[in-house]
Amino acid sequence: MAEAFMAYPELRNPFKASAVNAESSATVLYQGRTIKLDSTGEGEGLLIDPGDLQSINGFEIKPEGVCYGDLCIPLDAALMVEQAGRKWFSLTALAALLEQPFVADLEAGVWSFAEIPAKRENMMVSAMAPELELTDREGQVVRMADLKGKKALIVTWSSW
Amino acid sequence: MWQRIYEDINDPNFVLICVAEDVGGEAVAGPIFDAAKPTYIQVIDENHLVSSAFNFVNVPSAAWIDEDGRIVRIDEGTYSMIHTFGEGEEAIAFGNDVYEPALKDWVLKGADSQHVQPAETVAGHIRQHSADQQKADAAFRLGNLFRRHGQNEKADYYWQMARDLNPDSVNFIRQNLTLTEEGSAGDQFRAMMGEYVSSGRDYYRPLDFKNNPLDVGPGASKIE
Repeated sequence: MAEAFMAYPELRNPFKASAVNAESSATVLYQGRTIKLDSTGEGEGLLIDPGDLQSINGFEIKPEGVCYGDLCIPLDAALMVEQAGRKWFSLTALAALLEQPFVADLEAGVWSFAEIPAKRENMMVSAMAPELELTDREGQVVRMADLKGKKALIVTWSSW
Repeated sequence: MWQRIYEDINDPNFVLICVAEDVGGEAVAGPIFDAAKPTYIQVIDENHLVSSAFNFVNVPSAAWIDEDGRIVRIDEGTYSMIHTFGEGEEAIAFGNDVYEPALKDWVLKGADSQHVQPAETVAGHIRQHSADQQKADAAFRLGNLFRRHGQNEKADYYWQMARDLNPDSVNFIRQNLTLTEEGSAGDQFRAMMGEYVSSGRDYYRPLDFKNNPLDVGPGASKIE
């Protein structure tokens, strides 16, 4: 049998301990991006500045609701929360409506969101490539949408 | 070996994207890429985003995407060749040699290739992940963030959560085992894979190329 040649135990402790939110109020992880939020509301769930929403998950606040493409969800008091005269958008209430799973570490103030199922219906039902944005080793952004007109093989491997 | 296949195909309308599912990042995957002297697109995917996006649970896995953005094959043990390690009775072999000719056939013939599958077949081949399995991806990435911040206790906690929420993910199991002394191919791994297989689960779809030009039947895609 092959030896355990793929181990890299040096990764166990390569990093110095540091706070995740040393200079931010909260951190959101989504689709491989790490988004630092300067300010968040008080209380349960994650209340964000409405201006931060689009940079997190592409949803926009419009007169008809909170929208992504053709999908629009009317705003209500659970989504748009007012505290001391300031409006906050509840990212966790949106996740609940979209059935988007997430895991939060409240102590550290980090919310990690899984994919939004509605964004993946095209793949699950019609076998269309999912929305996906990657950065290659040369720093170039590779989007599935940019591959149109060409055939592509996307193949995973690992060092382990 | 993908570089040789890419050069053989030599078609400006064919894009090859090889993605290393590696939390160790450039330090561990970079030299392996460099050794291949690749001219295809190389991605080091520390958060296993590609596996999440296509619901893969192991490497090597792949999707063929046509000119219209439609997936025409998915989730097979995507080996570029039969790999052998060791010698004599100790030797192990894994991989297959049927994937390469099928891929080349598709690039050449497009929709007329016998290996192209209709949308309903592909959709049926995409793994259905439960809400818990999707949540596992979020837990894994949270663990990665804490690892980068040197908070290993939390990192371990969320990686274990990911494994518990998605026990089908060989990726999570083996990535986690890289942090143990015995690594990702030791006794723990073998015990886990024994359990995995005996419970009737599979980590790739079986290769089912019809009328394969090599006429060798289903390829051997297994981890020994």
